Amino acid sequence: MAWNKVAVVGAGLIKMGELFEQSYEQMAAGAYRAALASVDKGAPAIDAAIVATQRGTLWGQEGIGGNTVPTALGLAGIPCTRVENACPSGSDAFRIGAMVVASGVHDVVLVIGVEKMRDKSTQEGLLARAAAGHPLYNRGETAPVLFAPFATRHMHEFGTTPEMLASVAVKNHHNGCLDPYAHFQNEITVDQVLASPLVCSPLRLLDCCPQTDGAAAVILTTAERAHEFTDKPVYVAGFGVATDHPYLHEKSTYVGLPATTLASGRAYDMAGVGPSDIDMAEVHDCFTITEILDIEDLGFVEKGKGGPASLEGETALDGRIPVNPSGGLLAKGHPIGATGIAQITECWWQLREEAGERQVAIRNGFALQHNVGGRGSGVSVVNILTRNA
Amino acid sequence: MTPDPVTPRTGAVGIVGVGAAAPTLRLAMAEVGKAWAAGGGKGTVAVCESDEDTLTLAWEATTRALAAAGIEATDISGLWWGTSRPPLAEGPSHAMLTTALGCAPDIAGALCAGSPHAGMEALVGAWDAIGAGGAGPVVVVASDALVPGLGTAGEVTTGAGAVALVLGAPGDNGSAPAARLVARTTRSMAVVDRYRGDGDYATGDVYDGRLFREEVFIPLLADTGKALAGDTTTALPTTWALSDPDGKLGAAVAKRLGGAAGGGDIQGALGDTGAAAALLKAAAAMAEPGALGVIGYGGGRATAVTVEVAKPVPGAADVPAALAGGTTVPYTHVLKARGQLSPQADPIPMGVPPASAAFVRGAREMLSLEGARCRACGTVSTPPSIHPTCIACGSAEFDVVPLARRGTVQTFVVNQTMPPPFTAPLPLIVLDFEDGARLMLQGVPGDAGALAIGDPVVLTLRRYAVERGIPVYGYKALRAQDAPAPDEATAAVGAEG
Repeated sequence: MAWNKVAVVGAGLIKMGELFEQSYEQMAAGAYRAALASVDKGAPAIDAAIVATQRGTLWGQEGIGGNTVPTALGLAGIPCTRVENACPSGSDAFRIGAMVVASGVHDVVLVIGVEKMRDKSTQEGLLARAAAGHPLYNRGETAPVLFAPFATRHMHEFGTTPEMLASVAVKNHHNGCLDPYAHFQNEITVDQVLASPLVCSPLRLLDCCPQTDGAAAVILTTAERAHEFTDKPVYVAGFGVATDHPYLHEKSTYVGLPATTLASGRAYDMAGVGPSDIDMAEVHDCFTITEILDIEDLGFVEKGKGGPASLEGETALDGRIPVNPSGGLLAKGHPIGATGIAQITECWWQLREEAGERQVAIRNGFALQHNVGGRGSGVSVVNILTRNA
Repeated sequence: MTPDPVTPRTGAVGIVGVGAAAPTLRLAMAEVGKAWAAGGGKGTVAVCESDEDTLTLAWEATTRALAAAGIEATDISGLWWGTSRPPLAEGPSHAMLTTALGCAPDIAGALCAGSPHAGMEALVGAWDAIGAGGAGPVVVVASDALVPGLGTAGEVTTGAGAVALVLGAPGDNGSAPAARLVARTTRSMAVVDRYRGDGDYATGDVYDGRLFREEVFIPLLADTGKALAGDTTTALPTTWALSDPDGKLGAAVAKRLGGAAGGGDIQGALGDTGAAAALLKAAAAMAEPGALGVIGYGGGRATAVTVEVAKPVPGAADVPAALAGGTTVPYTHVLKARGQLSPQADPIPMGVPPASAAFVRGAREMLSLEGARCRACGTVSTPPSIHPTCIACGSAEFDVVPLARRGTVQTFVVNQTMPPPFTAPLPLIVLDFEDGARLMLQGVPGDAGALAIGDPVVLTLRRYAVERGIPVYGYKALRAQDAPAPDEATAAVGAEG
């Protein structure tokens, strides 16, 4: 039923964090070596690479192409293209890499995400987007502004509470404690979230993901050749990408992200599955409200019920639908271009039942990975993986 | 100096509406004195918040005056704007104001600047344009928000405010005007008083206050005022609306002229409003019939005008309410708002700088707040220049329309984490306009603790940024006065930041 033309045969990442001591190139090399080392059999020769880096300007580089990474990996000369598609850059690079393999042009493709977010001061980094874009109509729009208006409205329409939002951060920090790659590895409480400073009302500091340096890589090949490299391949079952209007004032709703609904609908159709077939999901929780919107828009819970579902543990490791067992963006971190690839890596581990203490029950053999972002939160990518041949 | 006889102007000009505006901040004069270990005086001065300036005040006063007169901005033929210090020392200040007001592109008029006398110069220019025939109705707007030198005598009294008068030839409005400009005279004296050299940021003050009082201000204004009587037997008015640089000089001049200072306690509430001062007090005094003398002073020049008020001028009774309110803030807040106290960190530059092509394409749609209404489905896409295709139906046929200036809050946030030049708390509001359009606009810090979904908001022109010296104007959403009382829990969260 599923598409299953492409398999993931290797995946790895570096420990996320404030990696002041590592260059962009060193982070890329670390992720690549981790992915190579994860391949069970043999050493795949990389035919081509796709690199996801959302913004070189965050570390002082403008207009970087696809050539920076191959040199860092000792692969100078291979075909390599950089993909930038807002926060889903990594997941879209994965989708494009899968299409490249499926096309038959290249057999073994490296998809690597690398993002250097902490080289510049906070003020010169992500906060600088407050002055980018339209001179008036999104002036002051820092990253939380892309999602906080949805929290305001979600609370207004559905009675979602700050405690419900906080429960997402508490759960993901707990999961992060079980993930050696997570940026944050400390438990937090609902009270701590509610006592943290307001960043962009109604979101508080602990409702927000950190700014994280990081890199992650996966190795794709054809389903036919997968067993050359592993006895436990994970297949690409389906994917979907969707767009929505780029300005916040153009949204058709402020209690959901239509791009996510569209993208996941396409991915479910392609994989021939529905939300109830998914065993676990890595979703875009840049802010607590985002995960609540995601689990509704992806069809895991009814619209408006994301808050209570989170509070009641439906998305915990042992819940009905475990969400972000890796700790998510909130605890693992959000190195933008690397984020999607790191989520794929977590799905790969979970489907191979190699996730250690945070392993969730795999019943149907399907995992879902999701990102959403960009201006107006108007780009979403969903990838569905399966261990079922 | 022998004053020339007065030159009463024939073809009297009518005043058909007035409007006033004051900025949002108030500073106790005593605080300034305390900071410099000097006497601070009584009362308060009005100060612009960082997103207000002389242009936004002029816009607000003009908007009110036009509403009082019942005239659309598109129907005025000229705008004369007097301000000591335009937002750009050289640049499109006047064009920005008339575009923001929604005036026709062929609007006539002038920008008078360089001293607080600019307000009277604007009045005289408009008066003569109507007198020459062919003009009218026109707007005279006088505004100021000066930056006084720190520790100067002027710092204690420098305020901010604006006043606009809609003038028309008698009969323009279908009936006799409520008031007429009937006589005027001007005197000049080449002496330095308050001044700002080329390149100076703040306004300096006279060396000796007593010298200015005894030898310049009182004799010049008294002579000018007396000249209004000319060689006729015309009686001088007994109510005077006067420039008053220190809060005491006005009363001294009025006494010398055998009358009293009018205009209520505007000076005590707002301080010296510079180019607006005399006309602002005059506008308030136009609520009562009678003869009114107006003398504006600045830069060594004084102009005196006689106004005959036959009946209350539309808008005059609303002047006190327009100037009331304001939030009293500490001295440091004022210094930041006036650009005299800044963090060391470099401000984040605008991604789209104001001299770039996007501002040429978008000047009018931003300043006049326009949207593109789809001819097929009626949906408004905003702004037009980035929407070649309707966001709802995909049609490419539009009418560019000005958007409503009222709406309701669809959703909002209050951003508490902002790099310079932004200041927190900064509300960002997605609002539904009364005409069906939707836009996200900034709110104002004072509303941060009170906003709620469904609140009615009104739009007002504010300064969004000053980029490399160039002001960038746009509309901000203010909680309307008829908005419901804020929820206590919401207010507590907003206040926390």
